[in-house]
Amino acid sequence: MSNNEVNVIDREGAARPIEWEPEQSLMEALRDADLPVLASCGGTASCATCHVFLEKEVFDALGERSEDEIELLVDAEGYREDASRLSCQVGFESHLDGLTVTLAPED
Amino acid sequence: MVENHATEPIIIVGAGHAGVAVAAGLRTRGWQGGILLVDAEKEVPYERPPLSKELLKPGAPEEPTLLRREKYYEDKAIERIGGLTVESLDRAGRTVLLSDGSRRGYHRLVIATGSRARALPVPGADLPGVQALRTRDDALELKRALVAGARVVIIGAGYIGLEVAAAAAKSGCEVTVLEFQDRVMSRVTSEPVSRFFESLHQANGVRFVFGAAVTAVEGTDRAERVITADGSSYGADVVIAGIGVVPNQELAEQAGIDSRDGILVDGHGLTSDPYVYAAGDVTRFTSPWDGASQRLECIQSALAQADGVAEAIAGGAPKTTEIPWFWTVQHGVRLQTAGVRHPDDETVVRGTPAEGKFSVVYLRNGRLSAVDTIGGLTDFRPAKKLIAEGARIDPALAANPAVSLAEAAAATDPKN
Repeated sequence: MSNNEVNVIDREGAARPIEWEPEQSLMEALRDADLPVLASCGGTASCATCHVFLEKEVFDALGERSEDEIELLVDAEGYREDASRLSCQVGFESHLDGLTVTLAPED
Repeated sequence: MVENHATEPIIIVGAGHAGVAVAAGLRTRGWQGGILLVDAEKEVPYERPPLSKELLKPGAPEEPTLLRREKYYEDKAIERIGGLTVESLDRAGRTVLLSDGSRRGYHRLVIATGSRARALPVPGADLPGVQALRTRDDALELKRALVAGARVVIIGAGYIGLEVAAAAAKSGCEVTVLEFQDRVMSRVTSEPVSRFFESLHQANGVRFVFGAAVTAVEGTDRAERVITADGSSYGADVVIAGIGVVPNQELAEQAGIDSRDGILVDGHGLTSDPYVYAAGDVTRFTSPWDGASQRLECIQSALAQADGVAEAIAGGAPKTTEIPWFWTVQHGVRLQTAGVRHPDDETVVRGTPAEGKFSVVYLRNGRLSAVDTIGGLTDFRPAKKLIAEGARIDPALAANPAVSLAEAAAATDPKN
């Protein structure tokens, strides 16, 4: 059992911890935990079915979003400029341990 | 005969996107019975799109992303058999014969065998040096062959051919693409998009020969040149045929399950046998969007079908279905398509192709049927939504990139 845990708040508002392994993107961790993340592009910033909201401090600490990611997100349901990320574009970082991720609503 | 099939597992043949998604979908829906995933390949199932994109790039990691980490299958009690195929199917006895000679009974069978590269139908096509690209091993072998100075001849200017052309050019190869039609990606897109990508490739050193009918591959011990109908000869160290795919439907076909360029399935992936389902590239089905009979090579469709199969077997609610969509990246430029275009759809260009960022909108009887986005994704998601709604769009409004597609649809007279 890894110590790398992420707290996920699902679309019903329920929270639960999931494992996040190094080498995995956040999307892969969500998908392996059977969360309803379609990820229909397999993690290439081409769809937007892995849209999540991150806490402000985490969001700010991550790198800039690519133009593709922004263009996909701005039209997504519930888009928030200071919180929305495609979870496939968020790579594992040890300092993200314990982070809270909220699944965005489905379109 | 004793009816004990409920104690038998669901056997899934094939571990691409569709097969793995059926297994995952069954467990998500609380399926308690056994699940057996039979995979012709030995490795843990992986993503296919990177094979012709990221993986071929010089210096890129050689491990494609896994569809699920290895531990997932253990955690979910999904039995995985790698390196074996299913040889035949006994529908009456509900068993399959595996290539190691063993026989396994099933409660339900799911055929998710995908498709394979269409073989080049000319003499010499089996010479070493003529390569296909469907698996991780194919991709790694091809990558080793793409060395600076190598003469690479690609037959077919579709997605795969052009993605390989881009990677080969990037690796310093001398690249020639032979295409029977008069433009690239003619099957999937319109003239303005074809011309844009043709220029992009040419600017990166790729040479095209259109109207080229390949008649032979020649060489002594391996491929040395490709010959076309007009007698031209193209020297080659590597030959790649990207001339489409054929569905791996033999297992179903030999067992007498209805197949016609794809295993025929209904909206829940059920075949003509009530105990056999199919999902992914191997299927032919009626589009819920426009009623067309189609076989799609598309992850979105594979996942949606897998979801339908899991729902039919285990019950539970289906996930939201997206409009089919497709993407390719060539020389760093992304072409992303929502919907399935018909060749006779009206074509409207939004923006200026010369600027490298534009869209092409396709209208069928005044309704949005598909959108190509090139170098940007602004129109992509709104388009999916509008296509699903069957939105009408005035062509003049659609042509104005300053007006969003949603605004254009809202401003269009519904009686147009």
